[in-house]
Amino acid sequence: MKPLFKNTTGIGALPAITGLLVVVLLFLFPRFVENTYALHIMILIFISIVMGSSWNLLGGYTGQYSVGHCAYFGMGAYTTMMLMQFRQIPPWLGIWCGMVAALVVALIIGSICFRLRGPYFVLASIAVAEILRVSALNLKNITNGAEGILTTEIPPLKIGGALITDFSSKVPFYYAGLVFVLLVILVTWLLQNSKLGYYFQAIREDQDAAHSLGISLTFYKNVALSLSAVLTSLAGSLYAVYVGFIDPSTVLALDLSVQIVLICIIGGIGTIFGPVIGALVLVPLSEALRSNMIGESLINSGIVKADSAFGSFLTENLSHAHVLIYGVLVVVVILFMPDGVLGFAKALAARKRKEVV
Amino acid sequence: MTIFLQSLISGILIGGVYALIGIGLTIIFGVMRVINFAHGDLLMVGMYGTFYLFTLFNIDPFISIVITMPLMFLYGGFLQKVFINRILGALPQNQILLTIGMGLIMSNGIMLAFTSDYKILSTDYSSSSFDILGISISTPLLISFAITAGITVVLYWFLLKTDTGQAIRATAQDREAAQLMGINVKRMSIIAFGLGASLAGTAGALISPTYYIFPQVGSTFTLKAFVITVLGGMGSIVGATLGGILIGVAESIGGVYFGSGWKEVVVFVLFLLVLLFKPSGLMGKSNT
Amino acid sequence: MAILEIKHVSKFFGGLSANSDVSFEIQHGMIMGLIGPNGAGKTTLFNCITGYYPPSKGDVVFDGRSMHGLQPDKVCKLGMARTWQKVRPLAKMSVVDNVMVGALCRTGSLKIARDMAMEQLKVVGLEHRSGFLAGGLPIGERKKLEVARVLATQPKLLLLDEVMGGLNPAESEDIIQLILAIKGLGITQMVIEHDMKTIMRISDRIVVLNSGEKLAEGSPQEIVSNPDVVAAYLGSE
Repeated sequence: MKPLFKNTTGIGALPAITGLLVVVLLFLFPRFVENTYALHIMILIFISIVMGSSWNLLGGYTGQYSVGHCAYFGMGAYTTMMLMQFRQIPPWLGIWCGMVAALVVALIIGSICFRLRGPYFVLASIAVAEILRVSALNLKNITNGAEGILTTEIPPLKIGGALITDFSSKVPFYYAGLVFVLLVILVTWLLQNSKLGYYFQAIREDQDAAHSLGISLTFYKNVALSLSAVLTSLAGSLYAVYVGFIDPSTVLALDLSVQIVLICIIGGIGTIFGPVIGALVLVPLSEALRSNMIGESLINSGIVKADSAFGSFLTENLSHAHVLIYGVLVVVVILFMPDGVLGFAKALAARKRKEVV
Repeated sequence: MTIFLQSLISGILIGGVYALIGIGLTIIFGVMRVINFAHGDLLMVGMYGTFYLFTLFNIDPFISIVITMPLMFLYGGFLQKVFINRILGALPQNQILLTIGMGLIMSNGIMLAFTSDYKILSTDYSSSSFDILGISISTPLLISFAITAGITVVLYWFLLKTDTGQAIRATAQDREAAQLMGINVKRMSIIAFGLGASLAGTAGALISPTYYIFPQVGSTFTLKAFVITVLGGMGSIVGATLGGILIGVAESIGGVYFGSGWKEVVVFVLFLLVLLFKPSGLMGKSNT
Repeated sequence: MAILEIKHVSKFFGGLSANSDVSFEIQHGMIMGLIGPNGAGKTTLFNCITGYYPPSKGDVVFDGRSMHGLQPDKVCKLGMARTWQKVRPLAKMSVVDNVMVGALCRTGSLKIARDMAMEQLKVVGLEHRSGFLAGGLPIGERKKLEVARVLATQPKLLLLDEVMGGLNPAESEDIIQLILAIKGLGITQMVIEHDMKTIMRISDRIVVLNSGEKLAEGSPQEIVSNPDVVAAYLGSE
């Protein structure tokens, strides 16, 4: 029997101060670090945390494994981009429309898929996302089809005549990402300490039992999905405006859905900081592969000769296979640490503590 | 009318291969209750095997299945023994994620080894066809359909008449009971996954003369395989056979009447409708 | 007035009937025993009453209101709660959190729900386990947790499905005392139980099901002396 630590609704002083310190440092980060690549990595981590945490509300807390979450990411991305590119509506307004669009899709998907359970729900969520992808591909006159949408210009953000930012650097995206991250973490924390959070977890643990305790499955599952979808669309919108290009095969792809799930699985599902850990592990790893840092460092350090067969293999191919790391990680995590890195670390720490005692 | 017949027939021919993919998935699901998300990637591995047997050793794709089939069987058995057997008691979600991970490793491993370039296996009959009553029939599709039919017959015989086949069916029906009857369930699982992999690989070999070959080709087939098995009723081999042909026909006719870009949507909408209104499958018994 | 009226309830699965034309009433404050051989349709009847299956025919009237077409969550909110034959703890949540989920049926505040939950844990004698994970409890305590959780939904009528199954005599005695205590709180109960001695001891009235039909109804004394019941039990075992 595992005794559980007392359920705390308040936060201890030490974690609160640490948290505050981290947030302050993160806000100051762009003032001291001007390296654009570092900012780029941070923004990617923020986007990953937002999409992971949003999925976590539905998959981690409510136990409904959607493997079609690219649908909401894509709705955010497409709505914001289409409004900005074709209707001259600035992205900070477009994002709201993206949220509404994601909500509408979520309600439709929820009404279809939540009549199904377990693996059938997983399959249905994939099917719906695929329908959206193929539609985006085919509705060429509104989405540009397979060509995708390329940003030509982001209008400068002004408040009362004062220029806030013209989006010429990465800094505004950094702050937008940071605010979104704080928002999803806040939402998750509030959820954990509310009736809604208890109901979500009860549904995850046992649907029939939850139902018999007065919990309407359809209602609460749809609430979880809607919340999750709206927040996921934020990640999609930010990604689209930041990268400046979207097409169906990047923002509406099954790969993306899988990536979203993996962020949570690797970090540990159903915890506030699981997706943060997952993003911190995944993004740098996959970036290192994508930018061929690993191959280059192997060559630069003299371990592998650049003109050898293996060297040219590394420089040419390794960068294409950055998704490989997702595959390896998920297999390792599922087989050896089913509670994610966070759970694994906790269990390890608990074992250590026991040994000491 | 000719267009309709034309698309009906090519749908049936393609459907034969789909059936093979679906049967593989349904056997795996039946015996282990695991939904194999790496199924399309197994097919992709089969395609690459066939491609290199053809380009390096000049072995005709339809003949190379003699090599692909047993190799894929061993590969599948290996995957089962090393990975899947460890998580048979785990949450279904974790099983799904594990197979997704295995699929990613396969597709990205292949990408690493052979780049993401599209490869085309062109035989001298790849684009040949002949006419019957004004309907043109593609030669490679017809050959692959004939081979599919042959394999299906042998497979039915194996499952119905041999001891191993019956043990597999018994395990699929009730794992615990089969265990009590003295059936080595772990061994049956290895055979089942090997069988599934070998059918997927064979399907890959059969379509390689008519499809582009690239590392990500699997995911479309994984999705199609799900649709087929759900249509036929999870675990039903007859259902998967019919489901495969039905999907082939739906795709082909949908492509003609809605435009080829939308044919996949037709399939997925059909899938959702079945999930909603008859989740036990068109062939399955209604439990609700 | 009867708190629960079961009116000609039938349930068919495919062509098989699990319940056919079952009718009886439960009066306020009593303990109704529901017995019958394996496969007699006891749990199916529970499922029909609590909204898990819609009855194929007939109606269930609770507190003067038809339960027709109501989902289980609605049924629970109206004051009819059930436990499960195979316990269903919310395994990765703590014991007190499990009971809070039940209490949240009546309040939106976690603080109030926690107080209500602790109160129910005291009633069943599990307060010392409140911080433990529910999935780690031994079977006897899981059964108690199950009862505490439904009690927290503040039911008027409690349906207990074999809450003593798989327990040793001492644990069973605990549960018996608990059922009697719940009766003392004025909560009506319907109890499915296999052990005849227990059911005779705690029930005010008993309904016997056999092959989905109501075989007999009466006080415990009437039931033991009913020749049909004796035949059904001897015949089936």
